[in-house]
Amino acid sequence: MRILIIEDEQALNASIVTYLQQEGYTCDSAYDFREAKLMAADMPYTCVLIDLNLPHGDGLDLVKLLKENTPETGIIIISAKNALDDRITGLELGADDYLTKPFHLSELNARLKSIIRRRNFNGQKTVQIGDLEVFPDAAEAQVQGKKLVLTKKEYDLLLYFLANRNRVLTKDSIAEHLWGDHVEALDSLDFVYTHIKNLRRKIMEAGGEDYIQTVYGLGYKFVNP
Amino acid sequence: MRILTKTSLYYLLVSFVVFLLGGIGYYLILQGEIYDEVDDQLFTDKENILAFIRRTNTLPHVTSGVTETILVKEVTNATPVLESLTDTLIYSSYDEESIPYRRLTFTAYQNNRVYQYTIMKSVMDFDDLFESTVFAMGWTFLMLLVGLGAVNYSINKYTWRNFYNTLQKIKRYSLSQYGPLQLKPSNTTEFQELNSVLQAMTNKIHADYLNLKEFTENVSHEIQTPLAIVNSKLELFMQSATLTTDQAKLLEEMHHSVTRLARLNKSLILLTRIENREFKENEDVALHELLAQQTEQLQELIDMHGLQLEQSITKPVFVHMNRGLAEVLVSNLLINAIQHNQPNGIIKVALTKAKLCIQNTGEAIQNSPDNMFGRFVSGSNKSGSLGIGLALVNKICSVYSLQPSYTYQDGMHTLCINFSNKNR
Repeated sequence: MRILIIEDEQALNASIVTYLQQEGYTCDSAYDFREAKLMAADMPYTCVLIDLNLPHGDGLDLVKLLKENTPETGIIIISAKNALDDRITGLELGADDYLTKPFHLSELNARLKSIIRRRNFNGQKTVQIGDLEVFPDAAEAQVQGKKLVLTKKEYDLLLYFLANRNRVLTKDSIAEHLWGDHVEALDSLDFVYTHIKNLRRKIMEAGGEDYIQTVYGLGYKFVNP
Repeated sequence: MRILTKTSLYYLLVSFVVFLLGGIGYYLILQGEIYDEVDDQLFTDKENILAFIRRTNTLPHVTSGVTETILVKEVTNATPVLESLTDTLIYSSYDEESIPYRRLTFTAYQNNRVYQYTIMKSVMDFDDLFESTVFAMGWTFLMLLVGLGAVNYSINKYTWRNFYNTLQKIKRYSLSQYGPLQLKPSNTTEFQELNSVLQAMTNKIHADYLNLKEFTENVSHEIQTPLAIVNSKLELFMQSATLTTDQAKLLEEMHHSVTRLARLNKSLILLTRIENREFKENEDVALHELLAQQTEQLQELIDMHGLQLEQSITKPVFVHMNRGLAEVLVSNLLINAIQHNQPNGIIKVALTKAKLCIQNTGEAIQNSPDNMFGRFVSGSNKSGSLGIGLALVNKICSVYSLQPSYTYQDGMHTLCINFSNKNR
């Protein structure tokens, strides 16, 4: 799977590339509008990450262009602008998702996975790790054929972990993924712990293994033991 | 009190005092004059009587009218009155009133006998003259007073009109909707100066305001990218397998702070954007639906805090505003009620056509309630609270002319948003 990252800030571009490469994607980088236009025309990408403020042009034009030429390409806009209208225009033009800077790389990864999954690029309907099987279409998960009864938040948490397998996820990024802007209402991140404890318990009660590791001082990690 | 009324009143007061003193002075002078005149006549009569006696050596024929009386009587006093001038009242049965008289008593000798003469003269005629003069003068004074007052008022009004014009303009002046102050030129030096000072001042204020606005905008936007970079690098760093526990802890703390900073920055950008009135697309937002949505989304948090939510939404309420801002408004109010609650507390949400009220249990705030809607005012020291939520609420309210209010009673905080009439 090939991802094109259009971001003029070199350091950020490099971080994204490193993170996604570790996930097994092939990544290309473009640093301005013209370069991005050429690269997007050259080769079909699975997904394109577009920064809206680009040298020599507007990222929204690239969205339009990509939508016309390669409609199957997934598009995620990453922007420092959090203008509601930008978000709406972007999504109306055909972008699949919109992330405001600064974002967590794990969040970007989860969104990317979700787009790829929705578009069924890898022909895979389920995600399987050991005994655990997740059916994103039905929003269900099961362990050894036994259905897990998960709340919406627990299911979201599970998907987030699956998208970032073997990665350390901080409580902050988990909280922001689950509660979005409402994260401010959380007095402490202990709620994250409660959710993780419940998810872990439910998986283990169904006969699964303990996939969620606590990384002391940092957060949590979903591993296949 | 308007300056026009004030100066006019002072003017009238001073005029009144001056006229009063003038009137009293005039009265006294006139009275003096009249007495002088009467006395002169009395003395003339006396001279005439004495001359008559000397010439004819007989007593003059004594007339005894009401207006003019000469009384003669023989006295045997050892010490006769030589000359005495007094006031007296004599009853007139015709007028049925006592009439003031001036009386001159003197003594004359004839044939070695002493006679006391009393000449009286009515001051009545002079009194009438005096009265009508005072009356005429009074009217003149009154007319003058009214006339001067009116003239003074209209002149003042005319000269102050530019001042009032300027005042009106200043009242309507708003920083965010800046148009240069169009002040009417005046030929009064003071007003000219006032106008030029005001003009210079507002220009300066506006320039400062723009600078500050630009600064906030730029800073907030420019901070995004470095934050994103730091954040991403930290996340990459965290993934390295060789971290010791101490390093991991340090990393986590850094990451937490960066995340917090990012959130704060987002709120500040939103605040600035609201201030700049960038949210122009308004629609009739169904507040009742929005509330239901938001409380559903926050239900989990409410449950987690062990709070009890009571909602009373009777009728559909529509408010004309930007949907995104309405969401921010409602969610910030609810989050505020969750955050500053006590364990097992209550949240009451009441929506009527007139207002939206959100109540929550909690301790009284230490700060003054007036500061509630300011930036970075946190009711408690709980971390995670940026204290910017109510500042956002306040800003949104001011954009849409809604009136936020806060009261605390019996352990309940009550935050209300009153919808002004023009919103419906």
